Amino acid sequence: MTESNIPAVRTEGVWKIFQQEAEEVQAVRDVSVTIERGEFTALAGPSGSGKTTLLNLIGGLTPPTRGRVWVAGQEVSEMSNQALAQLRLEQVGFIFQAYNLLPVLTAMENAEFPMLLQGLAAEERATRVRELFARTGMAGLEDRRPGKLSGGQQQRVAVVRAVASRPALVLADEPTANLDSASSEALLDVMAELNRDLGVTFVFATHDARVMGRARRLVQMVDGRIDSDETRA
Amino acid sequence: MTAPPARPRSLHTRTILVLAMRNLSRQARRTMLTAAVMVLGGALLIFSFAIGDGSHENWIDSGIRTSSGHVTVEQPQFRVSRKLEDRLTSAQRGEAERALAMPDIAPLVVAVSSRLRIGGLASSAAGARPAQILAVDPVAEARFSTLDDQVVEGRYLEPDDRLAAFIGVGLASSLELRIGSRLVVQAQDTENEIAAQLLRVVGIFRNGVPEVDQTVVHIPLQVAGEWLGSDEDVTNVGVVLQGSEAVGPVTRHLETTLAEPITRGEVRVMGWREANPALAAAIAIDDFGNYLVFGILFLIIAFGIVNAVLMSVLHRHREFGVLQALGLTPGQTGAIVLVEGLTLTAVSGFVGVSLGLVATWYFLGDGLDMSALVGEDMTFSGVVIDPVIVPLFRAVRIAQVVTFIVAIGAVASIYPALRAARIDIAEAMKFER
Ligand SMILES: Nc1ncnc2c1ncn2[C@@H]1O[C@H](COP(=O)(O)OP(=O)(O)OP(=O)(O)O)[C@@H](O)[C@H]1O
Ligand SMILES: [Mg+2]
Repeated sequence: MTESNIPAVRTEGVWKIFQQEAEEVQAVRDVSVTIERGEFTALAGPSGSGKTTLLNLIGGLTPPTRGRVWVAGQEVSEMSNQALAQLRLEQVGFIFQAYNLLPVLTAMENAEFPMLLQGLAAEERATRVRELFARTGMAGLEDRRPGKLSGGQQQRVAVVRAVASRPALVLADEPTANLDSASSEALLDVMAELNRDLGVTFVFATHDARVMGRARRLVQMVDGRIDSDETRA
Repeated sequence: MTAPPARPRSLHTRTILVLAMRNLSRQARRTMLTAAVMVLGGALLIFSFAIGDGSHENWIDSGIRTSSGHVTVEQPQFRVSRKLEDRLTSAQRGEAERALAMPDIAPLVVAVSSRLRIGGLASSAAGARPAQILAVDPVAEARFSTLDDQVVEGRYLEPDDRLAAFIGVGLASSLELRIGSRLVVQAQDTENEIAAQLLRVVGIFRNGVPEVDQTVVHIPLQVAGEWLGSDEDVTNVGVVLQGSEAVGPVTRHLETTLAEPITRGEVRVMGWREANPALAAAIAIDDFGNYLVFGILFLIIAFGIVNAVLMSVLHRHREFGVLQALGLTPGQTGAIVLVEGLTLTAVSGFVGVSLGLVATWYFLGDGLDMSALVGEDMTFSGVVIDPVIVPLFRAVRIAQVVTFIVAIGAVASIYPALRAARIDIAEAMKFER
């Protein structure tokens, strides 16, 4: 198998069961899915169907109850904390449902944080962030702290943070949930372009028809299982 | 994907430091509150150590000046027998005096007084009382003792005094003596015969320690030499030093210089702890009490820090989740909290210790007047407690306090740091609707 054949993400019979007092919640049930490099995939499904949990399993933020998960050919479910940190730092960009910016850093500092950890030079970081900020209507807000940004603005910072470091894989949980259609389209343009030009793999959990419309593959989840999986031409 | 360039470790270290500092300044109020507790604690510790040490030094000074000094050179049996036969010959006395005048230790020595201490009887027409007769060289003893500063009537002994006696108020009133009154002292002489000597009162002192005021009688050494046949011999060579910290070096110096007579069993060198065990015990007990109070203070400070750091950690789960999702290891996340806690303790510890030193320095001149609390005449085991306490500055105390503060900071930050490192990332990042 050559490197280009290794899928970006692969899960095999993966389960996530939460113990809620006496009853157990099967958030993800026996999911086996392969996402090739360069895919632009939407994960849809009703609230509580397990989309966030599946993304967390893929990103190694939560260990599976059963089953196995690989990212770029490395088995996430077997990794040490250090290796996981390394993998996230170098390969994975997260966009969380609750934007989760660092409150003590400015918009600019938040957006460049992963690149800072990667050791990119200051000019390079600034150039990338400024360009993405300009394209997403965030120009001029670079020095604001998250507390002084609207929900939509914070979300855009979170998206820029996830993509500016150009990871191989971006796991995006409702990246457009709080945005007007113009901002959503701008973000989707940025992501589609990264996908096309750099081959960045995107996996979105979403309720947003705009996102689903742009996706080339649509995976539907119901009650923790994959209900349908269709790829459009 | 282009492989990212190799990341120098220092980069993460710097990021950790920046995040820690930003967090401290963001939570300015909590930071200040915690810092204030530590500053107060540090200052209080330094200052109360200085006051404690200062008052102990005071007790020591007071105690040793009315007894045998910081260091005493005497015949080994004398302390137990209290007999004139167990005395130093004038040759041994001279040897000790010369040793103390040597240039390498002379700067540590404040006063040297060679004296003959004899138990006897003092009598007048009004009756007789037991007396501690101390035959002294008036000039040397005036530098050694505090009694010459406690004259209430008359004056202290002077170099050409003959047949003069300097007595306490207690003895003066029991024997109905006034300045110029005649007084007879009796004691065993060198031939073991009872010998009597007629003296005249030249001065009366009031020391405050009842036992001293009742029994102590100072007379010229020359008079005693003729009266008892002991010539220039003495029962001890007492030494007052710059401070109790000089006892060690001076004792060692004397033991080396007087090695020969010591091995022959003719001479013994003793520090004040050995010579005044009751005083040493009193200080040890008081020190224990102080350490207990300090221990409790430490606990309160530690609790304050643990609380402050932990609270901040509990409110920042999401932030630690983000950091780990972005590629920091749990260890690096914990390090941020540790750096925050340590910085907080280091800075406030520094400020606290400095404040304590300033307070100590402020009272260094005139001392802290505690007479409202202590009362005028507090005494115990031969020590008059001076209500004005001059704090004592000791480098070792600073080291102790700094070490302790840093230790508290470290210990208090470890648990919160572990909490931060071990969070459940998925849980921390949860979206609350
Ligand atoms: N930590 C947890 N403990 C217990 N149950 C959990 C936990 N996290 C998620 N669940 C449950 O697992 C199921 C799937 O949750 P998940 O967040 O993955 O759904 P989702 O598809 O992302 O929903 P939404 O569209 O509302 O974001 C839900 O029933 C949820 O209540
Ligand atoms: Mg979700």
